[in-house]
Amino acid sequence: MKQESKTSFSWRKVTESRLFFPFSALALILLFDLIFVPGFFNVQVRDGNLYGNLIDILRSGSTVILLAIGMTLVIATGGVDLSVGAVMAISASVAALMINPYVLATQLSPETQRLISDPNFTNQPLWVVVPVTLIVASLCGLWNGILVSYARIQPMVATLILMIAGRGIAQLITNGVRIQIFYEPYSFIANGWVIVPFPLYIVAFMFTLTWLLTRRTAIGLFIESVGVNARSSFFSGIDEKRIKLLAYTFCGFCAGMAGLVASSNIKTSDANNIGLTLELDAILAVVIGGTLMAGGRFSLLASIIGALVMQATTISMYAIGVPANAVMAIKGLVVILVILLYSEQVRNVLRRLTAQRKEA
Amino acid sequence: MADLSDDIVTMEDIHKSFPGVQALEGVDFRLRRGEIHALVGENGAGKSTLIKILTGVERPDRGSIIFDGKEVNIKSPQHAQDLGISPVYQEINLCPNLTVAENILIGREPMKFGGIDWKTMNSRASYILDGLDVDIDVTQTLGSYSVAIQQMTAIARALDISSVKVLILDEPTSSLDVHETQELFRVMHKLKNEGIAIIFITHFLDQIYEITDRITVLRNGRLVGTYPTDSLPRLELIAKMIGRSLAEYDDMKRTKIESSQNIKKGDSLLDAKGLGLSGSVEPLDLVLHPGEVVGLAGLLGSGRTEIARLLFGIDKPDSGEVNVGGQQVTDHSPIGSIARGVALCPEDRKAEGIVGELTIRENIILAMQASRGFFKYLTLQQQYEIADRYIKILQIATPSADQPIKNLSGGNQQKVILARWLATNPQILILDEPTRGIDVGTKAEIQKLVLSLAEEGKSCVFISSELEEVLRTSHRIVVLKDHKKVTEFPGEVDGHKIMQAMAGSEQ
Amino acid sequence: MKHKIGAFVSTNRRFIPLFATALLFFIAYGVGAGFFQGMRDPQIFLNLFRTAPFLIIAAVGGTFVILTGGIDLSVGGVIALTTVASAALLRAGWDPWIVMLLMLTMGVALGATMGWFITYLKVQPFIATLAALWVTRGLCFFISDDSISIDHPTYKLLSQTKILIPGLSDPATKEGDFISLLVVLAFVVLAMAMYVAHYTPFGRAVYAIGGNEQSARLMGLPVDRTKVLVYTLSGFCSALAGITLSIYVGSGHGLYAMGFELTVIAAIVMGGTMLTGGAGYIFGTLFGVLILGVTQTLIQFNGQLSSWWTNIVVGALTLVFIGVQSFLAAPKSRRPSDQMAGLMLRRNRKSLLMGAGTVLAMIVLGAFLFRMIIPSTESTACTLKPFRQDQAASLIQGGAVIAYERHGGPACIDELYAIYPDGRIKGDDGDRTVEKQATPAEVETLLSGIQNLGWFTEDIYSTWHTPCGQCYTYYISVSHDGQQKTVQAVDGGTDAPSDYWQVVSLINGLIPRLP
Repeated sequence: MKQESKTSFSWRKVTESRLFFPFSALALILLFDLIFVPGFFNVQVRDGNLYGNLIDILRSGSTVILLAIGMTLVIATGGVDLSVGAVMAISASVAALMINPYVLATQLSPETQRLISDPNFTNQPLWVVVPVTLIVASLCGLWNGILVSYARIQPMVATLILMIAGRGIAQLITNGVRIQIFYEPYSFIANGWVIVPFPLYIVAFMFTLTWLLTRRTAIGLFIESVGVNARSSFFSGIDEKRIKLLAYTFCGFCAGMAGLVASSNIKTSDANNIGLTLELDAILAVVIGGTLMAGGRFSLLASIIGALVMQATTISMYAIGVPANAVMAIKGLVVILVILLYSEQVRNVLRRLTAQRKEA
Repeated sequence: MADLSDDIVTMEDIHKSFPGVQALEGVDFRLRRGEIHALVGENGAGKSTLIKILTGVERPDRGSIIFDGKEVNIKSPQHAQDLGISPVYQEINLCPNLTVAENILIGREPMKFGGIDWKTMNSRASYILDGLDVDIDVTQTLGSYSVAIQQMTAIARALDISSVKVLILDEPTSSLDVHETQELFRVMHKLKNEGIAIIFITHFLDQIYEITDRITVLRNGRLVGTYPTDSLPRLELIAKMIGRSLAEYDDMKRTKIESSQNIKKGDSLLDAKGLGLSGSVEPLDLVLHPGEVVGLAGLLGSGRTEIARLLFGIDKPDSGEVNVGGQQVTDHSPIGSIARGVALCPEDRKAEGIVGELTIRENIILAMQASRGFFKYLTLQQQYEIADRYIKILQIATPSADQPIKNLSGGNQQKVILARWLATNPQILILDEPTRGIDVGTKAEIQKLVLSLAEEGKSCVFISSELEEVLRTSHRIVVLKDHKKVTEFPGEVDGHKIMQAMAGSEQ
Repeated sequence: MKHKIGAFVSTNRRFIPLFATALLFFIAYGVGAGFFQGMRDPQIFLNLFRTAPFLIIAAVGGTFVILTGGIDLSVGGVIALTTVASAALLRAGWDPWIVMLLMLTMGVALGATMGWFITYLKVQPFIATLAALWVTRGLCFFISDDSISIDHPTYKLLSQTKILIPGLSDPATKEGDFISLLVVLAFVVLAMAMYVAHYTPFGRAVYAIGGNEQSARLMGLPVDRTKVLVYTLSGFCSALAGITLSIYVGSGHGLYAMGFELTVIAAIVMGGTMLTGGAGYIFGTLFGVLILGVTQTLIQFNGQLSSWWTNIVVGALTLVFIGVQSFLAAPKSRRPSDQMAGLMLRRNRKSLLMGAGTVLAMIVLGAFLFRMIIPSTESTACTLKPFRQDQAASLIQGGAVIAYERHGGPACIDELYAIYPDGRIKGDDGDRTVEKQATPAEVETLLSGIQNLGWFTEDIYSTWHTPCGQCYTYYISVSHDGQQKTVQAVDGGTDAPSDYWQVVSLINGLIPRLP
């Protein structure tokens, strides 16, 4: 076999790369936009900041991307985390409560009313709110990890519990009240703009952090090894339990991050609606990105592109006037298409068809 | 004695290959009516492939099958069943959550008024089991009974098909105790008297001699021969199973190994006293000296792999203790063992060795990285260095270190796993069947490698079912039989003596 | 004697999870009836079933899927699509029976497609049914953004048919305890499912596949065909559940049955069916549904805990059930032979112990919950009556621009107001009436205020959850500028759109108080 140098470019390498498929999917959607949606790609510059549909895709997709980053690790170990939406709700409640605990009182004096609606008011400074929220979210992830690793409950089932109970817990924290957050710097998390929307920086930070954690330490290798063959990994001295625990905890951490962004976006803690169905978007982003649900090799970048595929689909559909709730159907069809293309059976059929054509 | 002297099954010149391995080559097999026929061979001999062809799970590449006088082409398991060939596999292929009666009759349930007639089904199942002298409550779930009962249920199902002519029992006694085994034999005799031919696959030599009429020996995909049980002494049987004729073993002495003078008898790298695990290994003593290669010899099922697992920490012992490097071992686990400098190259490389999707490089550095923990990550350059080094040393045939390991041939995969453990720089290296499925040239390389490790002052435990390999490579040989250490042969010894110890009898 | 009991328990030990669930249900109900006077009314018990038929039917279909070790997440979407499609077709004048038949066919087709994807294309059930969920729910909104009400007399008849219980009601006055036709349907479906599960080869094959799919194949069972059939069955049941839902609420909307698939799974799990497949009883699913109902009822009667406690309790209960299930089950072993040998023998001894432990754990959990409930004062039973929809509709027909009904609350009221464009406002609570004359301009302001809040857009939509003891439920119909829309909501939660409460307060500002 011909020796292929590690650095040389070859067309074959490109098509066989993990990123090829999701990237092509994204390119197709953008192509669709280019043809059918005039002005889709316009980017305006206002006050030194960039605006436009593309920016919107990135901004509105930031929560799903954050979830997808954590979900990738969990799925790579052969599991799944259905509770990320609920963890987002819990995080939002915790953060909102720390900023504005007065709202729980039954009677608010007019002075207190004025105080809490002051954009500069917060009960706890942001540098306390954010870490505490993230710790709580990580603890939720840890809970999931313990159920999966030590209690040996199936991941789907184990995380289903927090998914059901989590929203109730989020409501419990705020006593059912939707807490308004007036604190301006908190709103900046999702609504701020520094050339590009601030959430993009958060995404970039999380991506970098995760990349360092998985590719610059042995953690990524171990996750992949456990996902492919947990038994062989055990024989090689890798502790499956600890790896899974780590993956789920980190997924919780990412969900916490996403919860902060989401609640900052709407300036409230809406325990019922924050992150609703987002867990499914995250799982699909990872699947589109090519990580198998059975576990094994993963690519953070591919998952992010997968998330962007979902988001671009959604926004393109809005752009051509499809009603908001109906976009779900389009997403479902996209998923089916992707699943088919990744499926062994379908690939075999395609291969046979193209082989026949070559012979003909 | 058989009622009729003609064959019910004649398989001629059967060939079967899978990607990368020739499972059967020109094998003949003849089964007489009403006989109990043992099919034996070590791992990889081809027994299961032969059976799969007979039961319709696989199709032969070449060769013919004549069943009950007519040439047949067995297309599927259902077809085989219709012909009257009924297998009972080693792994009980029943559903533990269904009742015993259901497991026997599902797919053929008696019906009444369009619905299942449970009453008839239960009584019918009881009746069938009665015929096997098994008296249990058939309305309980299968899973609530012992393995012996489950096996009887499997047999009952296999027999319930009308006109069973050939019953295949694959390792039926592995999970049975002495009493239960006797019950099984009683049933087998009964069936034999009814004219049913039984193929009995087992590795328990005692059982073969107790109940079978004839023995067919396979080795490395080829037929060694078919012999009447009465006329084949135990020792000869073993010789045929593991490769040479008895006469050759008579002559084979252990080749003198120069390096034996480097063995420091005074020190011990590993000292196990009374180490055992109930149900797996009887308590034994084992000492490993620096510079020494210790071979574990014994037939399949004698406990070799189980000992390896105990030494490496895969299984935790429930008796005895182990000292490594003078320190008593308290944390029995792979990672603990690696830290202590013990390494195990496992027997089942597919399930316990390779991580298929990962590259050669990643597979090689895996254990080494595990011992370093999360944060002391080997840089990519270091990884490539290590990988390339071992690719060269072991001559692993691959275009690059970035090939996924699953693309390699079996032999090369084995080399990669070997490289993985060598890379951990162990003091004690345990090799369980390291040369299985590998070409002759590579086998020799591995043996040389083992000896060179010994020269460096390390110790190796060498497990193989090929006795001549063990003889050629070991300074000392420990013989196992039926999960027990039988004896040790230090120094030079006749191959013949080892065989006797393995057979457990003087013949 | 002891020996006989021991033998009895031993031969029936596989029913232990079922007994445990049933026991928990009866304990929960018993404790509730002990503390809350109102719960002793047999009608309350029967009410448990009133909102249950769609859950029972859907969960029965889901049980078959889970028994094979699969999962069906499309339930909520299929139900919603059924309601919307039925409503749209009925509105277009189709015959109701043909509509129902068509919906069932759709359910079957959908289920078969999912089953085919899962079995032959080897797509994970989770992903395949999830995609189906999205597609079906999304399709609803291609049909209509708003809820479509169903006016067809046949549907109304089906919804209101009451079957009186002999001995508990008086046929002459048609008063007394009753169950609805839909509940009878649910029980018929349940009974048929139980028959199929235990008396047909198909049912036994389902259990076999769940126990060990590979073995089932080797035993010659039609595994692939069976797997496709279970999903088809589930699709059918979801469609049937959708039909019953559309009969019960009299409308169709894409937002109905949100998250319903999780409720179904929780009911199935609590009924003793293991998510890994192969173990469980259809009858158990009934008890799972009842336990969910009882939890809601208890919380409602307590009045102090809001409905989101239901979520936590359901989650906690599911955890207990699943935890015990997982503990009892052998982990999927790599060496089945020695795993089976050792584990099975140990299981014989352990299973009885575990069964007892399960019941104990659940009694403890139940008691803990009830201790929370005890300190509260008894609250009067406020039976939920359905909205006076017909009356509201006829008021609108008669020229009213707003029909506003409010009931529940601490005093358990049921008030219906009509506001007319000429300023007349009439209200009654069944016994008394009140009237007020406002100016047409005030009514006009109110109407435009309501319109500006987005009443007729998709921002305002109906929601429902079981109300807390002090909470009101609202039913508001507005007719303005040729548009008419009815939205219902319940106080005390955060699921209703926030602008809805603005509308409520605007209306409250105008209407007179009843004396």
